[in-house]
Amino acid sequence: MQKNLDFLLEKYAVDTPITLIDRDTATVKGRTLPLLSHRWQRRFVELRNLTQGGTLSGVSVMRVARILPRGTDLYRALYRELDLCRFILGREITAIMAVDAPGVLNVMATAEDGVVCTLELAATLAEGETPKDKHEIIAAHGIACDVVVDAQLQQDSIYVFGQENDTYTDVDFELFGLPAEDIAVVRAAFSLARDEDFDARVAEDKQLTALVDLARRSVQSGEREVL
Amino acid sequence: MKPLKIAMMSMTHGHTRKYYQVLKENPKLDWVAVSTANETVKEIFRNSVEGIPCYDSDEAMLDAHPEIEAVVLASENSEHIRQMRLCAARGIHVLSMKVPTFDMDEYDEMIRLMEDAGLVCQIELEMHYNPVIARMKQLVADGRIGKINAFNATNITLSPVWAFPWQGVPEKSYGKRVPLKEGDPRFRGGALCDHPHIFDMIRHMTGSEFDQVYAQVAPNIRPDLEEEDMLSVIGRMKDGTVFSLDPSWSKMENRLPVPGPGWEVFPKRMEVNITLHGDKGTVMADCFGPNVYHSGLPNDRYTVQYTYFDEWVGLIDEFVDNIRGGKTPLINLRWHRETVRVMNACYESIATGRPVKL
Repeated sequence: MQKNLDFLLEKYAVDTPITLIDRDTATVKGRTLPLLSHRWQRRFVELRNLTQGGTLSGVSVMRVARILPRGTDLYRALYRELDLCRFILGREITAIMAVDAPGVLNVMATAEDGVVCTLELAATLAEGETPKDKHEIIAAHGIACDVVVDAQLQQDSIYVFGQENDTYTDVDFELFGLPAEDIAVVRAAFSLARDEDFDARVAEDKQLTALVDLARRSVQSGEREVL
Repeated sequence: MKPLKIAMMSMTHGHTRKYYQVLKENPKLDWVAVSTANETVKEIFRNSVEGIPCYDSDEAMLDAHPEIEAVVLASENSEHIRQMRLCAARGIHVLSMKVPTFDMDEYDEMIRLMEDAGLVCQIELEMHYNPVIARMKQLVADGRIGKINAFNATNITLSPVWAFPWQGVPEKSYGKRVPLKEGDPRFRGGALCDHPHIFDMIRHMTGSEFDQVYAQVAPNIRPDLEEEDMLSVIGRMKDGTVFSLDPSWSKMENRLPVPGPGWEVFPKRMEVNITLHGDKGTVMADCFGPNVYHSGLPNDRYTVQYTYFDEWVGLIDEFVDNIRGGKTPLINLRWHRETVRVMNACYESIATGRPVKL
């Protein structure tokens, strides 16, 4: 991914050097900063455009489900999904009620204006299996979703049937060959170097960490916790 | 690398707006000016892009900006030969829309003009810069499905004629008024003229040329159009690969004067799906999927919201590289001539009711 990132920096003449540490963070100008790379996945950008650009109106509920391989830290997954709720809805979350059981975490989050987000997280897939997820926004005027109607799972752009079956979803010609989630990591790091919005990302991370802590507290207390 | 000084002409083609972002953002380019063919497109352009000088004629623009090195011919098909003559006379490289012309004498003149002047002429077949196509080419090259035996593809869209009226005028789309067949009130110039991509892609994927085509039109789903909107093509390549191609305008649209939200009636306004059957397996691809979906404004209809539409980034990168590096474009005039010839053969098959041997 670093090689792809360096390619973009050179192509678009961005002089700020940036080094990926892992999928979540990068070092730039001596600071280690969160990437929030999910915000650069195109499906979430389009859901945000639909929700905040006037295509939907009167938002009521956002429903999220994400299933991950066994052993995945579900609170780390919650960090991502809570941020997607905030990013797509353009609202701040102020209260959380959470319950857990082995390998699962269910959360109900409330936004400042009463919009409700339900998040159903699980770590039950075999190792190496691609995460399965769905994001749906339900409004008085319209529904938006990243899974096509009458289906449970996301589609792929290519299916290969032969001696070995395969699927591929290629979404970016400039970064061809990388999976969609890796592309988002590279695009997020490129944006960080180009826009130098360091403090804004730190502030987002701080808010999300507080929300995840709130979920942990709710699981412990069995009560709805308010920020 | 010195930025390429580029301009656009006419601004009447449906792909015009695809260039706005890439021409502004690509650091390899310096977008100098545009010329507009009429007041309508001038107003649309001025409402979309700021800071780019706009001229009422191609000549006025080129006279005012002798520094222009390359132009995008964003014009109706019938204007391409005039604009190519103009560019060749002034030593300006050309990025042509997907059909330079259907008149093969004009086509050969274009080849002569560009080659004699030592200019790059790249054809805008943007599917080559689509990541799903890139993956398919790789899978084929890696032998994952063995020798291709069948190439079946759709290149189906809504009809653009309400927003881009020239596409509904046979003289401007096909170049002249030619009846589809005896007793048929329709003329050449419709959906087939809009959809060369799959005719080109089969040549790339198989490495073979067309041997035989058979095409047939169906009753129009838009009875008020004077061109074909529904047609089907089958045939065989010289290497034995059979094909079935659907280049129709089969996705119904609302008749908007400017494309935008609510254009589609059917949820997905455009589809290029390709299925390859080989002697070791099958590949199925949706070149514009998966996406996100909604039922909101403006029409409360279930609608596909596309998540990927960046083909023009790679296309423009290659165009600049070809000019600066003195290279021949992947889709050059000579390569593309056979694709246009085959599309004409489809019209011939429609007219005669018989397959055409190529």
